[in-house]
Amino acid sequence: MSTFNLEIVATDKIFYKGQCEFLVFPGIDGEHGILANHEPMVAAVKAGELRYTVDGEIRGAAVGDGFIEVSSEKVVVISDFAEKPEEIDIKRAERAKERAEERLRLKRSEKEYVHSQAALSRAMARLKVARKNMRQ
Amino acid sequence: MANMREIRTRIDSVKDTMKITNAMYLIASSKLRKARSGRDAVSPYFESLQETISDILDRSPDLEGTLFDNSSALSREKKEEIRRCYIVITSDKGLAGSYNHNVFKLADEYIAKGSDNTVCMIGYMARNYFAGNPNVKIDEEFIYPAAEPTGYRARGMAEHVIEKFNKNEFDEVYVLYTEMINSMTFEARAMKILPLSQNMFNRPRPAEGEKQKKASVIFSPSPVEVLSHIVPNYVKGLIYGAMVESYACEQSSRMSAMDNATTNAREMITELSLIYNRVRQAAITQEITEIVSGAQSQE
Repeated sequence: MSTFNLEIVATDKIFYKGQCEFLVFPGIDGEHGILANHEPMVAAVKAGELRYTVDGEIRGAAVGDGFIEVSSEKVVVISDFAEKPEEIDIKRAERAKERAEERLRLKRSEKEYVHSQAALSRAMARLKVARKNMRQ
Repeated sequence: MANMREIRTRIDSVKDTMKITNAMYLIASSKLRKARSGRDAVSPYFESLQETISDILDRSPDLEGTLFDNSSALSREKKEEIRRCYIVITSDKGLAGSYNHNVFKLADEYIAKGSDNTVCMIGYMARNYFAGNPNVKIDEEFIYPAAEPTGYRARGMAEHVIEKFNKNEFDEVYVLYTEMINSMTFEARAMKILPLSQNMFNRPRPAEGEKQKKASVIFSPSPVEVLSHIVPNYVKGLIYGAMVESYACEQSSRMSAMDNATTNAREMITELSLIYNRVRQAAITQEITEIVSGAQSQE
């Protein structure tokens, strides 16, 4: 299977740099799949689950908000955070989720609503990836 | 010649100061280790963020103007003053050599360009410097400490700036920060973060032919939607990167400033001890002479 260069850069590290066969990322309008020789594209990435295939093995990761640039040379994913399923602290994510839900219920200002929603979606992304890993 | 006691107290006071500068040196060097590892972790993100954004802008030449409606800014350029906003990153405390001074010098150069300036501050040294300056307005809601930069804090700053930019309170937003070139050289830099323009990172532009090849990129689902998501994210990333970079520079320049101070204090003590010993010797000689001449007159 033909491959392309993939770079996943998080705020605190280069999460992955190397060849990739197939990439699925969470976009603002649903999941997108990228194969080699994709046409140049820029898209926004929403907090969620990202999957990439290396040597036939599907790897998962939780990513935060960010964006992706697909060009003829490489694909760059720039995200607030990127974590492997085994790195995720489930307890912490659960607490964050509860906090965010609590704040959403309080119905405060619009700015706070947006903040809580963003925090909630980050927690959900982590939990989704971590739980999926546990089931396997 | 000064008397012995004066020199003695002088030496003691220099010694006390040296203790302080030496302690500050040790503190700065341990903080620097942390700050530098933070910087090493962030800099790939910071660099690829700048690269990717400028690449996106290169590929979509007609994007300028659609984004964040800077068409109004362009028309104003002819009519009135451009309202500029500067996010100035300095330290919370002084005693960091020329670190703060270099940023202020750069800020003054930029401020002299126009008469409508707003300053957003990270680090308390900036507040003292800009207070009372008639040419700048200080954004009172935007004063943050410089120590231990976090992504969370950067997000708050980015939201604040973008909100004001969207309300059309500013036409241009810059970040003034210090970049570490190598562990001993730092340079104050200005980075324009809003509105997006193609030469914003001072990177070499691609040649005409290459640009032709590069042009055309699709935005999924639509340019407006993608950019309204990307821009807050990228502003946050840039501010965060600049904060981390500046913090590492601050610790590094404080460390070398304190190291210099300690060395100077040590030199001063050597010099003063020499003078002290000379004065002491002179006093002893004088006393002996007096005794001898007193004894002689007795004979």
